[in-house]
Amino acid sequence: MNNLIIVLLVFWIISSIWCVFAQKTYRVIIFFGVFSLLTAAIYLFLGAPDVAMAEAGISAFTTIFFIVCVEKYYSRGEGLKHEMATKTNKPRKITRYIFPFIFCVALLVLFLNFAPTGYVVTELRDQYLQMFMHDVGGLNAVTAIYLGYRVYDTLFEALLLVVAVVAVIHLSWYEKTAVSDGKHSEMERSRMAKFTMRIICPIILLFGTYLVLNGHISAGGGFLGGLAFASFIICRFLVLGIYDLPIEKAIRMEEIVFINIVILPILAIFTGIMYLAWDATEIFQNIYLIAMSGLIGMKVTLGFFVLFYRYIAIERLPEEGEGE
Amino acid sequence: MIYILSYIIIGLGILFMLFGVIGLFQRKRDFYYRILIACKVDTVGMITIGIGMALRHGISFFTGKIFLILLIIVVLNPFVAHIVTQAAYKSGFISVYKRKDGDA
Amino acid sequence: MNIVLAILLGLLVPYGIRVAIGPSVWDRLLGMNLIASKIIIIIMVYASMNGATFLLDFAIIYALSGFIGTIFIALFLSERSIRKGRGKKE
Repeated sequence: MNNLIIVLLVFWIISSIWCVFAQKTYRVIIFFGVFSLLTAAIYLFLGAPDVAMAEAGISAFTTIFFIVCVEKYYSRGEGLKHEMATKTNKPRKITRYIFPFIFCVALLVLFLNFAPTGYVVTELRDQYLQMFMHDVGGLNAVTAIYLGYRVYDTLFEALLLVVAVVAVIHLSWYEKTAVSDGKHSEMERSRMAKFTMRIICPIILLFGTYLVLNGHISAGGGFLGGLAFASFIICRFLVLGIYDLPIEKAIRMEEIVFINIVILPILAIFTGIMYLAWDATEIFQNIYLIAMSGLIGMKVTLGFFVLFYRYIAIERLPEEGEGE
Repeated sequence: MIYILSYIIIGLGILFMLFGVIGLFQRKRDFYYRILIACKVDTVGMITIGIGMALRHGISFFTGKIFLILLIIVVLNPFVAHIVTQAAYKSGFISVYKRKDGDA
Repeated sequence: MNIVLAILLGLLVPYGIRVAIGPSVWDRLLGMNLIASKIIIIIMVYASMNGATFLLDFAIIYALSGFIGTIFIALFLSERSIRKGRGKKE
């Protein structure tokens, strides 16, 4: 085991204990940010670059969701009461820290001494790892598994995002669908923000395109490309203060893209066209993989766009009737 | 030869980052001093280490990617520091010295 | 290069202390930002040691998406203070 991973795991344990036992809500969010930053690095060094990139993208987004939730919690006056009630005396506080720490150290020792002694079922593993290039295509086994062997999982995860978007739209508290002028963020007037975004936004778009098109060869894929495009849209919202994108069309387009995501595997995999031994199979496989990546990227982009527009850009502003 | 040069440059970058730690733990200073020292020195250290890394690999794909990362860092790291400082100022976080002046 | 990696890992300790004991929220945010940039450098050094180019993709997406969380924590905290009336009026 690499020494680097052991040091990072120790930091990881300490940050997770901070995160659980922090006394104030904002501290919890910041400690959780540190925790997920370290998590992404640990995934990378343990040899899972796809998962690590997904975690790095998601950590930023969970931070935003958490802080909006806390904002709502505080604005109704329930947060302060809760924080007053959770003050404890000192010996109890120390025991609260010690027991999780001992458990975590024991787990770490177990994890470092864990040595897998031979695989019981090697047949299926060999089948997946040696045949994925022939069966599904591409050079990345992870992509081959989630777009080929386990395509059901992908379909139902896409369905889950649709359900989340529908739930947010229908349970939303406010009836408005657009942000009125004059309530944009403070950074709108900053020249430095505009200058920085002018340099960063093309890089984000370029890198997102690279991730989508290169997903079946190297680490990345449709989900991460979608996250990159979504972060571009969010930068437009909250850094530059541009709210001109139409939300109704985005919801409609997301449904169309979801139907396409369902139809494409049905045509390609469930009918067996992918596995026919004709000459153009490799080209067909590559087209299928890139098209699936692009569709998933579009779906994630539109889903996150609707979620953020609804949940953050509209809901965080106070309503006109209520007063500030 | 180039390897030795790259080691020297990377060592210089590490030195800059250690200076940043000294700035981070000045007890008398408050937040505005800390973010000024830490973020500026940190950015310089990252640029220096990146250039040292690029020297090690010569002209290759690796170097190109490192320069892309350096571009992102050079643009984003001061921007984040600027935004955090601006937010702290707008939310009414007052420097220690200013508060003393106000009392007196 | 192992020494460089060790020093960079050791640098996580003072930044973590700053995150833990920071008197204000802004100190904690500063420490979080520094930890993120340090992890990017660690990944670059590790990729350079192994000659693995695909690890740099990860560093790029880390740099591009890591700043969003920090920026929005700062933005929301300042907007909350301004709404409560404690902030600076222009």
